[in-house]
Amino acid sequence: MTNPIANLQRVSADYKTMDKKDKKRFWTDMILNNALYILMAIFIIYTAIEQPNFLTLGSFANLITQVAAYLPLALGIAGCIVLTGTDLSAGRVVGLTAAIAGVFMQKTDFANKMFANLPAINGWWIAATLLAVIAIGAVIGLVNGFFVAKFSLHPFIVTLSTQLITYGIILWFFALNGNNGQPISGLSAEYKNFVGGAMFRLGGVAVPRYVLYAVILTALMWFIWNKTTFGKNMFAVGSNAEAAKVSGVNVFLTTMLVHTLAGAMYGYAGFIEGVRAGSVAASTGLNAECDAIAACVIGGVSFVGGTGKISGIILGVFVLRIIFVALTMLGVDSSSLYIIKGAIILCACALDMRKYLVKK
Amino acid sequence: MEENRQNPNPEQEQLPKFRGLYRHVKISVKALDRIIVACIAVIVILVALELRDPGFTITFDSRGGSDVAPQNQMYGELLEQPEPPTREGYTFTGWYTDAACYELWDTQNKTIETDMTLYAGWEKLE
Repeated sequence: MTNPIANLQRVSADYKTMDKKDKKRFWTDMILNNALYILMAIFIIYTAIEQPNFLTLGSFANLITQVAAYLPLALGIAGCIVLTGTDLSAGRVVGLTAAIAGVFMQKTDFANKMFANLPAINGWWIAATLLAVIAIGAVIGLVNGFFVAKFSLHPFIVTLSTQLITYGIILWFFALNGNNGQPISGLSAEYKNFVGGAMFRLGGVAVPRYVLYAVILTALMWFIWNKTTFGKNMFAVGSNAEAAKVSGVNVFLTTMLVHTLAGAMYGYAGFIEGVRAGSVAASTGLNAECDAIAACVIGGVSFVGGTGKISGIILGVFVLRIIFVALTMLGVDSSSLYIIKGAIILCACALDMRKYLVKK
Repeated sequence: MEENRQNPNPEQEQLPKFRGLYRHVKISVKALDRIIVACIAVIVILVALELRDPGFTITFDSRGGSDVAPQNQMYGELLEQPEPPTREGYTFTGWYTDAACYELWDTQNKTIETDMTLYAGWEKLE
């Protein structure tokens, strides 16, 4: 991976020395290992032919906006996958933090305001809300991490239960103050501008501020993963927890921190979700973790544990979004998209295992 | 029980062993290849089937008013202004995206992005 050109030269030199059978295997390996990318390329070409406005700057702006919205979740969950776990509570945590941020950020003069006596919305109040929702996400992540690390419970079980508990809390929250489960709307202009205000326009489509925030978060995560002791410990625990323990890594603390960090990312994702959707309902964030997990697996954050790169996660989110943007533009309805999503996850896992086996 | 019966020397086993989440998985490369091909086939077939009848269905729930026919629109198109429904003793206030009638659907500017149901808003006549 160090030098792509040298790599390509080496591969082509190898290819020349192969006999017929090996050549055939080389091509099947190549096609199968890149199956999802080939599929994406086919969809792009087909959509570009059918829908001329697919390959425009505006549609590209739409794509990076979507990627920026889905990236924080994937960055958070990737840490859990590196530890050979996962996090099923992500979507509901986004729902809860979106609801809380939404309530704090309702217009002061909005008729159906849930809590009437909140301070006027200014920069400090927005910053405080952002920190509060990140903290709430982090606390839920901490609970996940504690049970996973302390009792070696499988993350699937722990996060499934926190998912349900969080949903219960969401439903409680929506019933507060006689709100009776109504969606939270009437978000203030300051909040909308802080998250979704246009930075610049590409082909007539505004690129919102959260694209910039996503870039900052990605840089931060890259630093944490690659340049800190915590990041190195995370990969050590993921590839072999026993060996990491023997060599002096605090497995308990590392696991807790990974989940807490993931939770903080969901908190941030919740903060932007309300603006993105325009209002927050009890169903906000439903199944968001599926997209994030799929993106990670496509991007090579393996369930084998201890492997993964930030660049891979970005690539994974891009691939998934391109496929879905293309399919929506073609007019494939959302019920079929779920089946396609399921097939993509299964396919990505099979690819993940295949790469591991072939390498061995 | 399974663990006890396992071969003590993993190198002699036919199938390779995984780590992590896949540690109990026993599968060959050939079987994986079939799964990958099958998944891709499912996706392609599904997309092909969908493309015979593309577009999104917008259904109208008139909530007690007269029925409004569903529309089929492509991504990015505007809704065709539907005939406003009528209801005895009420005036029609517009189409809403939620049954509680909070979020009004702007038929002039908002473009279709997915399948959806719009709900009629009613105001009681005095």
